[in-house]
Amino acid sequence: MTEKKTPQLDELEKGPWPSFVSEIKRAAVKSEAAKDLLNLLERSYEDKKGHWKHGGIVGVKGYGGGVIGRYTDLPGEFPHVAEFHTMRLNQPSGWFYTTDKLRQICDIWEKHGSGLTNFHGSTGDIILLGTKTEHLQPAFDEYSDAGFDLGGSGSDLRTPSCCVGPGRCEHACYDTLDMCYDITNEFQDELHRPMWPYKFKIKMSGCANDCVASIARADCSVIGTWRDTLTIDQDAIKAYAAEGLDIQGMVCDKCPTRALKYDAAKQELHVIPEDCSRCMHCINVLPKAVQPGQEKGATILLGGKSTIVQSAFLAWVIVPFMKMEAPYTEFKDLMRRIWEWWDENGKTRERVGELIYRVGMGRFLREVGLAPVPQMVFRPRANPYVFWPQDEIVK
Amino acid sequence: MSRIDAGPPNYREMLPPIILQNYGKWQYHELPQPGVLKHVSENGSELYSVRVGSPRLVSIDFIREICDLADTYCDGYLRFTSRNNIEFLVGDPVKVAPLLQALEAKGLPVGGTGNALSNIVHTQGWVHCHTPATDASGIVKSVMDDLFEHFGHMDLPAKLKIAMACCLNMCGAVHCSDIAILGVHRTPPRVNDEIIQKGTEIPTLVGACPTGAIRPNPKTKSVVVNEERCMYCGNCYTMSPGMQILDEKNDGVAILVGGKVSNARTAPSFSRLVIPFMPNNPPRWPEVTEAVHHIVDVWMKYARRGERVGEWIERIGWEKFFGLTGLPFSDKLIDDFIFSKETFRTTAAFKY
Amino acid sequence: MQGTANPEIKAKILAYLETVEKAKSKEIAQAIGEKKADVDLGVKELALEDKVEYLYITTTFVALKGKVGKPN
Repeated sequence: MTEKKTPQLDELEKGPWPSFVSEIKRAAVKSEAAKDLLNLLERSYEDKKGHWKHGGIVGVKGYGGGVIGRYTDLPGEFPHVAEFHTMRLNQPSGWFYTTDKLRQICDIWEKHGSGLTNFHGSTGDIILLGTKTEHLQPAFDEYSDAGFDLGGSGSDLRTPSCCVGPGRCEHACYDTLDMCYDITNEFQDELHRPMWPYKFKIKMSGCANDCVASIARADCSVIGTWRDTLTIDQDAIKAYAAEGLDIQGMVCDKCPTRALKYDAAKQELHVIPEDCSRCMHCINVLPKAVQPGQEKGATILLGGKSTIVQSAFLAWVIVPFMKMEAPYTEFKDLMRRIWEWWDENGKTRERVGELIYRVGMGRFLREVGLAPVPQMVFRPRANPYVFWPQDEIVK
Repeated sequence: MSRIDAGPPNYREMLPPIILQNYGKWQYHELPQPGVLKHVSENGSELYSVRVGSPRLVSIDFIREICDLADTYCDGYLRFTSRNNIEFLVGDPVKVAPLLQALEAKGLPVGGTGNALSNIVHTQGWVHCHTPATDASGIVKSVMDDLFEHFGHMDLPAKLKIAMACCLNMCGAVHCSDIAILGVHRTPPRVNDEIIQKGTEIPTLVGACPTGAIRPNPKTKSVVVNEERCMYCGNCYTMSPGMQILDEKNDGVAILVGGKVSNARTAPSFSRLVIPFMPNNPPRWPEVTEAVHHIVDVWMKYARRGERVGEWIERIGWEKFFGLTGLPFSDKLIDDFIFSKETFRTTAAFKY
Repeated sequence: MQGTANPEIKAKILAYLETVEKAKSKEIAQAIGEKKADVDLGVKELALEDKVEYLYITTTFVALKGKVGKPN
């Protein structure tokens, strides 16, 4: 058989940014499936449409997720991608690896798959792209022996993910890496045996910079914060001033609550503690001088999701401050109460945020057992349409 | 023997000694040069992280190649970022310069730190998705080639995060990015009665439509679509292959701008639609790359130091944004879905 | 999910799944009149025994192993 030509994709091998086309071609040297993927993709570039069918039924024994079935709609022409399933492997917290572990992943995938991967998928998993049904169980068995397990898919807890945390960041207000590892192990049933109305994602960021975009991308967002006042090292402020940094302009004037006062004569920066909303801006600009307070923990937000169907939601505050220390009992109990409530009340394919939007925050708080506090809203409602409980009505 | 529910590998076994020794003790970090982070701990230890762009869709030989580099320069330790970059964790400062040379020799770009363009998070597109309105990897490659200089230089007003999703499912969660590139459909689904009769639960399919445009058709044991109410979200196609929404003549790309997830200064916010449609023009989508490049140029020219795209636009006002960029404003950009009211200007104060 | 599943509930789950193509475990629980948590546990064990499987078709369903085939 003569090699098919891929003039459009070849165009994407030019230019300075590393090329995914070159990567598919590299894999195609060893894998017929990768070669067919390249040719199928060229066809998509010609047709301006995708050539994959809806997911099928594939899996690994005992697991309800972690494998996504994928079949091309042109199996006659591209037989090696007739089945081209994805495996999701649960990444280590913070995406840290030894090269030994990475090489193990590669060696197993060379044997059982197309040799193509995503480091990483949108939720955080290691994505192994493209294998046949018959290879799923053997591949899983070998990954399991190498110390890896499947991630989530379907109506289950999706693979939790977290920022780099105390591993390499001075801003971390709790141990995101440990918490991610701990809750992933705690919630293995929820991760591997889908039993809910739809997916549920948890992401952990060590501070309000939110480097894993938890507020936008997770049903439950755990964002590190502190309850007391940030600490300022005046010697370090003087050093920044000496370097020529415009502290008034770049720090104080951009403080959203005008909580910082700079004394240019003394080169001292002071915070008005009760006015600070802990947004991280001053800490980001002056990392050597300004640091979070001592009483650290996290804010829990709920309901984040993207556009489909009822518009995108950003997660909103349900617990302003929770201590976040192993074994994370308070957090785990709260998650279980929320899941039970959502499972009981949610419609099929209804995310928890959509359910709360449908039935009301008041009912959610009452039934899950959370106390309403002003930190949960930007401002109170502007209408008086309160659903009064019967026991508060004079009869 | 395989185990069930063994969980992920323990991250502690993946951490280099310098991180184990300084875990939770990092004091501050600096950016000695674009793409290089220097973290300093309480006891004076210094860790250099060299950030490298990757196409995300990579072969195992690519992974092996970066492992070779990590073995030579980082004692076998590395990590990945939430935006699909690779970070080489260098404990020995002497090895930073040789690593940078080795990366350059291999054509791997170093950057993505501070006030630079970070890697574009993206979805599978035509490579592996069943509902895409466009490709993801090809557009990402084209935009990153086009904006390449901003990845390796920290010359922007603030950080720049671009994201790409190939349909409204937004697996890449593009909805809170400085610039979002989004695959969109423009025509209602074509109902295939035969497929729907075979394996689709009609009530679920009807319930999946956010505008109530799908009604059951008892005669055909299928459904009908009220085309006037359809806004082409594709949710029904996700529910059933009998609701074909892919349309090679009409699918394309929209651009949204001004979102962010960080809480720094301003609250996290959604990206807003500024270009409702551009055609799918593979392999390099020139209309898309030009539009993105133009928005970045205007932002660079007019934003104050430290202003993210959305912060800049909110300061000057969206009316000025359309004026400065020359992008046409039309009724397509005014929300007419369920949460539209909050976007209407309920004040007599604005600019020209 | 803790402990071992009640064998009677497992039998009822299998009997119910005989009557349908596929179901969500919430629907199974309603149909057989058992608590959903007990059904979830029963389904877990039945999956490990290879008697039922999970299907992701826009949401995750449970079905008797092999009852629902590949897409055409």
